This record gives sequence, C-alpha cells and structure tokens, in this order.
Amino acid sequence: MTGPAEVPVSWYDGRSALRHDGLLCREAGGRLVLRHPHAEGIELGAEELVFREERPGERVYGLQGTTGFRLLLKGEAPSEIEALLPRPARYGRWIDRFGLVRAALGFAVVSAALTAVALTAPSWLGPLIPPSWERRMGEAMVGDFGHRICHTRAGDAALARLAAKLDPGGEPIRVGVANVPIVNAVALPGGQVLLFNGLVQGAQDPDEIAAVLAHEIGHVRKRHVMTARLRQFGVSVLTAGAGTGLGNQAFGIAQLGYSREAESEADAFARARMAQASISPEGGARFFERERKKSGDEPGWASWLQSHPASLDREKAFHAAAKKGVAHTPALNGREFAAIRGMCREDKTVKEFGLF
Amino acid sequence: MGNEPGGFMEYREDDAESAFGFDGTWREFAPIAFTNLLLTIVTLGIYRFWATTRARQYLWSRTRFVDERLEWAGTGLELFIGFLLVMLLFGIPYFILSFVTESLMLRGQTALAIALTLGCLLAIYYLFGLARYRALRYRLSRTHWRGIRGGSDDPGFGYGLTYMWKTVVGWLPFGLAVPWSMTSLWNDRWNRLSFGPFAFEAEAAPSGLMGRYLLFYLAPIVLFVLIGAIGVAAIRSGAQTGGAAAAGVALTVVAGILVFYVVLGVIALAYYAKFFREAVGSLRWRNLEFAFDASTKDWLVLFLGDIALVVCTLGVGIIFLTYRHWKFFATHMQASGEILLDELTQSQTKMASQGEGLLDAFDIGAI
Repeated sequence: MTGPAEVPVSWYDGRSALRHDGLLCREAGGRLVLRHPHAEGIELGAEELVFREERPGERVYGLQGTTGFRLLLKGEAPSEIEALLPRPARYGRWIDRFGLVRAALGFAVVSAALTAVALTAPSWLGPLIPPSWERRMGEAMVGDFGHRICHTRAGDAALARLAAKLDPGGEPIRVGVANVPIVNAVALPGGQVLLFNGLVQGAQDPDEIAAVLAHEIGHVRKRHVMTARLRQFGVSVLTAGAGTGLGNQAFGIAQLGYSREAESEADAFARARMAQASISPEGGARFFERERKKSGDEPGWASWLQSHPASLDREKAFHAAAKKGVAHTPALNGREFAAIRGMCREDKTVKEFGLF
Repeated sequence: MGNEPGGFMEYREDDAESAFGFDGTWREFAPIAFTNLLLTIVTLGIYRFWATTRARQYLWSRTRFVDERLEWAGTGLELFIGFLLVMLLFGIPYFILSFVTESLMLRGQTALAIALTLGCLLAIYYLFGLARYRALRYRLSRTHWRGIRGGSDDPGFGYGLTYMWKTVVGWLPFGLAVPWSMTSLWNDRWNRLSFGPFAFEAEAAPSGLMGRYLLFYLAPIVLFVLIGAIGVAAIRSGAQTGGAAAAGVALTVVAGILVFYVVLGVIALAYYAKFFREAVGSLRWRNLEFAFDASTKDWLVLFLGDIALVVCTLGVGIIFLTYRHWKFFATHMQASGEILLDELTQSQTKMASQGEGLLDAFDIGAI
C-alpha cells in the first residue's frame, strides 16, 4: 500500500507556457515528486494540490500559492498515488460534502424558513421599533408634505378635542389636515394622523370625520402602522430595480396597504371608541355608503377604498352597531365642524398640492 | 519525455483545423445547467455565482486554442464578493439617494433634487463604461492557457471617462459617429489588456462599417415613407370601396409596423456582424492575428435559434443560451501567426480579487 509508485503526467510550471512531460512518483514517506529526465525532481506537498477540473480524458490539479501551475493526469493513477490526490470538486465545497440531493433539500428548507421570517418580519418587527424612531419617521413624512398641512388655531383645537374624545388617555394623537383634494386619511408612524382636505370637505357631518379619525387612531393604537410601513419598505426593496420612478414615495405615503384583518380591527376599534364617546356609528355607515356609490362612476381616485376593500360590508357593520334607544351627541359642535372645514381655506401660508 | 523541443508553433489561415475549436455538447452541458438551476432556486439566487463559474469552467475546458484547452480559473466566491461590494458601494447609496431626492422634491427643493438626480445619472453612465472594461479584465485574468493568464494593471477609471465622452461625441453629429465611437472604444478597451507578457493591440477602424451603418440609419426613413405610401393608398381605396376596407387598412398598418421592426432588426444585425468582424479582425497579440468569421446569416440563425429554443421550452431554454453563445463565439474565432512558447511567460499584472460585480449589476455582456 505505501510502496513506491509512478504515473506519467504533464505539467505547466506557471512561469512559462512550455509543457513538461515526466513522472509523478510516490516516494518513501508518502512524498509526491515530479520527476523529469534532465532536471531535479520537484517535490509537491500533497496537501497543497488542489483539484481544478475534469476534462475529456484528463484531470487537472493546481498547486496552492503557485498561479498557473497545472498538473495534467491522464486516466487513472496507481491507487497509492490516487490516495494522496485531492478529491474532485463539483458543485462547490458545501454541496460536495453533503451530496447534491441532501444539500438541495437543506438549502430549500433554510430558504423557506428565511422567506417565512422575511414575510412575517413586518408584523413582529413593527412593534419592536422604538417609539422615538417612529416619531422621527412620522415627522419626516409630515415634512414630505412640505407646507401643505393646514393650520388654524380653532381648527387645530377642534381636531385635538375630537382626538382626545375618541382616544382618552395615553400619548395624544396629533391630527392634521393636508391640503390635498382627495378623499383619504392616513396614519403615520409616531401617532400622527393626516386627514386629506378632500375627505374633510366631503363629510356631511362631524360624525363622519369622527368615524374616519377613530379608524386611523385604531391603526395607531393597534400598532398596524409600522407593520404596514415595513411591509411597504420590503416590497420597495424587492422591486427597487423595477421602478424607482419619482412619485413612488409620494403615493406610498398615501396608499398604504394594511391587511384586511388590520382594517377590520381598526373598524372595530372605531366603533368601540365611538360608542364610549356617545358618537353615533351611523356617521361611519354614511361615509362608506357615499364612497361606495361614488366609486361606481368615479373609479381611479378612490385610493381610500382601494386599500379598504368590501366597503359594503363595513357600511353594514357600522350600521348594525347603532343601537336603538341609545342617546348620541354630535362628535363636534357646529362651530368646531366649521372651523375644521375652513382650515385650508383660512390658512394663508399653506401651499397648494402639486409636485412643483 | 521532457520539455517541448523549441517551443514554436505556427498557424496559418489555410490550416485545415482552426486555431480555436470547441468540442462540448449540449448533452454534457445539460446536467450542469439543470443542477445550476435547481441550486440557484433553492438558495434564493445566491448560488448563481457558483453556477456561472461551473458553466464557464465547462465551456472554457471544451474550448481548444491550438493544442491546449482553455481553463476558467475564477471562483464563485469572488463573483459573490464582487456582487456584495457593488451592492454596498453603489446599490445602497443609490437607494437612499432616490429617497432623498424625492423628499427634496416634495419639500420644494426642486433644483437640488434635479442636481442630485443628474449627478446620479452621470455616475451611473460612468460606471457603465467602467463595468464593461473591468468585466473584460476580470475574465481575461481568470482565463488560463498552458498555465498562463491575461489581465491588465489598468484599473479602467480612465476608460470610464473615455467611454463617457466618446459615446456623447458619437451621438452628437446626429448619431453618424456611432461606428467611430464603437470601434474606438473597442480599441481603448483592448489596448489596455494583455495576455502573458504581451499586450493586445487593437486598431479597429469605422470606415468599412459606414455603408451598413448608413443603411441602418436611413432605413427607418425609407421604410416610413414606404409604409406611409401604402397606408395612404389603402385609405384611398378604402374610401372608394366603403367601410369593409377599414379592417384592411388596420391590417396594413400592423403588418407595416412588423415589417419595420423585422427589416430594421436584420439591418442592425448586419451592421453588428460587420462591426464584430472588423473589431476582432483588427486585434493582434504579439505575432498572432485574430479573425471572426460569422456572417450576418450566422448571427441571424443564432438569434432565431435562441428565440425558438426559449419559446419552445417555455423559457427553460434560457439556461442553454450561454452555451449557445459561447459555442458560436468559439467556433467563429480564428487566429493565425506564430507563438513562441519560450517567451510566453506568466502575466505580471495585478490580479483583481473580486469578480465582475459591477457588470453583473448592469446585466450586460463583456465582449
């Protein structure tokens, strides 16, 4: 087994392109030596040999640390020499160690697990984000609206009172009206809610605004906001190559996809808080009814409804929440409602909506 | 046994066997391609770098130059590192910048946002040229023949700038200098590269390409006028024969558009075939001259074959495209002249430690 053995080989020394022909010999002590008729033998450390590739009729070995050194072995070598040669590599080190099938299965399991973690990450990572980060993020997003948030003293006070009514206790929710003429409302990270002026102007009474605001507060309190933001961020990372056109971010702020469960949860939250504050849930039902009817002849604008599907069901749910014999008070008095509706008109410093 | 006597090889163009040969088969390549696909899928794409390496190892090892096979000495790891570096150095800043510019835009800092966007575009333009050169350099530095490799000490930053201005100048005279910019940039790339101790020399000239380029340049106008004339004639006859001919008009327009693109595509291919023959034909290395003998018809057959393969296999055939393209390249490459093996010593150029990440990011071919 450990006796001397030899096999004819060719090699390139990596210094010139000349081919050398000689013998690869296994000598005493398991040393591998390249023998050449006119020159001294070249000792090869068996552990320095690297398998390079298999070609038709020959195997190629390299030598660690010597660029271009190539040993070409035709056919089989005596088993004494084969025992010292590195094993052929095929797919890569990890895969060769386990075999293709086992490695592929292993990778598949790991990949599936990673995918599952990545897909669920928003829902468990969202609540872990520190409140201070959330607040900063929310402020950056409000900043993105530039001077398009309407402010009047009376309007701000009315909004704050409505928010406090719907959400007593805890850190106050900051509510603003954005000078954007579409029917939409959005909860931003850090406990901020923006009502778009299109929604405010479209509302027939203060209870409708209360229903929408309560719904958005629901998203904040149920911690949906960061989850949805993270999901949106993940999608934008994955599709970064596909479309990084201008406007994605702007629309991203407005069009946030909550899961259907999150929407129902926020609706339930809204109904509960409205009941506590003795505000009629019919406001919510009316809002959904009108938007549902409008969306029939005006498709496209209804970003609010697009991210809030099945508005008929939701309309019914709000309707059903109205109990007979329970006394309701309007969410806001007439003066307050008028103050909110006038915010964007009366604020002289506010900018029009538009990219430029 | 012993050293090769003299170490002198001579190749003439009239030699029965071409200096380049390819003896791979798709049956041998198939197990590589399919296992690569499988492993790439189960690793969420990360194996792709090792897959590229395995495919190249096969293709190079089945390619003969004179009397010895080529060898691909690159590794999957260095391609992977190249990819990570590009993501880190360019991908993330670009991602952040695109957010910043949007915020600036929304906050009314329009001028600053436009400046940033333009700066970004300029940087990408520069990197595009740089990537193309560096991928070529990487591939040469990992291509071994008789234990000798190629490479370059030029990192290509200058080439990136050359690429920028020559491309612009190529388009400035109504696009008429594009053949000049293409050949000139080919020369700029190859004159920076070497194999073993000897540099490549490229002297591609645009003069022979102008005929086909003008054909490509003028064809749209001619076709447009022709199709327009046919369309007008069809509308006139339609007006006489009534509404039934309206469908005929629509059909003529659709057929016209199809003809427009097919004819233009073939002319573009004819130009490119000529360009590639001129480019490779102008390439010299020591006492060797290269040639590329693929005609327009050969290119057309290659592309139609590609399309047929991909369509008929519902897309799976994509994994065989590298094989087809390399085979096309290897079988049409020719070389003649002499090589003195004694003087062909190892390249002393610096080895780039990472792969063609930048090019990978732009997803373009090297040669």
